[in-house]
Amino acid sequence: MSEDEDLELQSLQRQLDDAFQTTRPRPDFEDELWLRMQARRPIWRRLRDALAALVDSVREAPAVPSAAVAIALILIVGAGILAVGLHPGPAGTATSLQAGSNTDRSATYGPNAPAPVPAPKFAAPAQGPTTASAGVADQSVHAYPNNIYLGPATLTWTGHLDVTATALPVFRYQEPTPAAAIAFAASVGARPSGDVAPGGLGAYAGDNFTLVLTGSVAQPAVEPSYKLSDLKSAPAAAGSDPVAAALARLAAHNLVPAWSYRTLVQTTGDTVQVKFLRSFDLQAQGQAGVVDGLGSPYGIEVDLSTVGTGSFETGPLPLSLASVDYPIISADQAIRSALASSAQSTGAAPYPVVRLTTAELVYKLVWAGDHSFYEPAFLFWGQFTDHGTTYVKRVLVPAIAPSLLSP
Amino acid sequence: MDADRPPFEDLYRDYLGRIYAYVRAQVSTSADAEDITAHVFMNAYQAYGRFEARNTSPAAWLFRIARNATTDHFRAHGRRERLRRTIEHQPVAQDDPARMAEERMQYRALLEHVARLPQRQRESIALRHSGLSFEEVGVLMSCTEDAAKMLYHRGLRSLRDAVHKEGA
Repeated sequence: MSEDEDLELQSLQRQLDDAFQTTRPRPDFEDELWLRMQARRPIWRRLRDALAALVDSVREAPAVPSAAVAIALILIVGAGILAVGLHPGPAGTATSLQAGSNTDRSATYGPNAPAPVPAPKFAAPAQGPTTASAGVADQSVHAYPNNIYLGPATLTWTGHLDVTATALPVFRYQEPTPAAAIAFAASVGARPSGDVAPGGLGAYAGDNFTLVLTGSVAQPAVEPSYKLSDLKSAPAAAGSDPVAAALARLAAHNLVPAWSYRTLVQTTGDTVQVKFLRSFDLQAQGQAGVVDGLGSPYGIEVDLSTVGTGSFETGPLPLSLASVDYPIISADQAIRSALASSAQSTGAAPYPVVRLTTAELVYKLVWAGDHSFYEPAFLFWGQFTDHGTTYVKRVLVPAIAPSLLSP
Repeated sequence: MDADRPPFEDLYRDYLGRIYAYVRAQVSTSADAEDITAHVFMNAYQAYGRFEARNTSPAAWLFRIARNATTDHFRAHGRRERLRRTIEHQPVAQDDPARMAEERMQYRALLEHVARLPQRQRESIALRHSGLSFEEVGVLMSCTEDAAKMLYHRGLRSLRDAVHKEGA
């Protein structure tokens, strides 16, 4: 080998080193995959980890899934949607962390006139196009498409959006204090059992169950939540109603949601997941589902084992909500705003053309420090197919009048 | 937990990027690389209870899973596509349908040349530049350390020739 050839190969090796060291997946992939892995964990492993967490005091949550808590609830692995139902929601069955009913429309916050609030938005989108998987595709539940396209697209609108309301409530909660968390745990039947991790509201233990409480997360926005691992509950009986079984598990801990919900039941191996998808009752405007950073509904999830003992329950902490009515934009304005996010393709990399066909009123959590808001928004969506793969494109438009959205 | 076995979270953090790069260097789209990488870590996560650190390093264990997954991918999906490209003399696709522009990939052209190398040359280069020793590369490829070195250097020269040819 000549000296020149040797130098040339060495240069190539350096380039290869650089190439392999700089080739990395898009930033969201790490969190998304971690959550998929967590969702696939057998229920016994989750319970074991919950127990280990208590034995070792409160473990600091692994940094890996740091930015992805919000989409944990939408990641569905497995198959078999058994039922989708609508439930008006029993009143006052969960204990709020603060005085008052859970959705106290009579309680207001701040001055009488609505003050500017931060705008709701999806989880920080990648600068370039990217996709996210929300699990199993099911056309009857648009909320859980297989592939959500988060990148730019050329948009058109062919649907119908009917909005009769001119104002809608914005709900606000105050971040729970450690004392309130302890009181909540007591209402569930649990006592403090470990140190409080940074950002956490404590770990607790009751008779044969553990409870971990966490506060709000800024990005993606997540409300204070609980994770309850019931170590001894009996397996779900074959042929029994999973929703009834899940409600019984929640009732045993005073965690039956006080808000309205739809139920979604799925089976994954030997685990039955029952989701109680939260919505706000807007009276004349109907129900508006609460969506996460990808636009998918979420709420309480109860995982029941069909073969062994134990169950796992996670969901938002019952919080006292105050509300103020805010003027909202019209349907035409909402449609214009949705289309304003349309991107024009560049020649080299044409964007997908998406026909938005459907829109609905939803609520989206907006983190704002020691308090946070559930704000109304319009969720538009449509599908497109590329190389045989069908993607869902979603666009979130704040419903609140722009003059009342803080920059 | 095996005292010699690090928490899986540590492995995930340390190796996700490396495994992705190893896979990405061999497949044509970032979507495929994500799918395979996800498959690797899903399987690894499930099998981690059986991993014995005294028998192999975590890196060698993970890259073995990744190599098998990549081979399965080509077996299942790649043959027809590679045949089509050969017939049509088409380059590897620049990107996947979703055009995942966020992927950090500065040497795209170079890695596309790697992806076109004969399988064993490609694997030796990808494993070596993913940080494995020649001994580990040899074990993974079921050959001796010397044979792994030979394959690697042959692949390196093929790569140089391909780069020259494109520049000509």
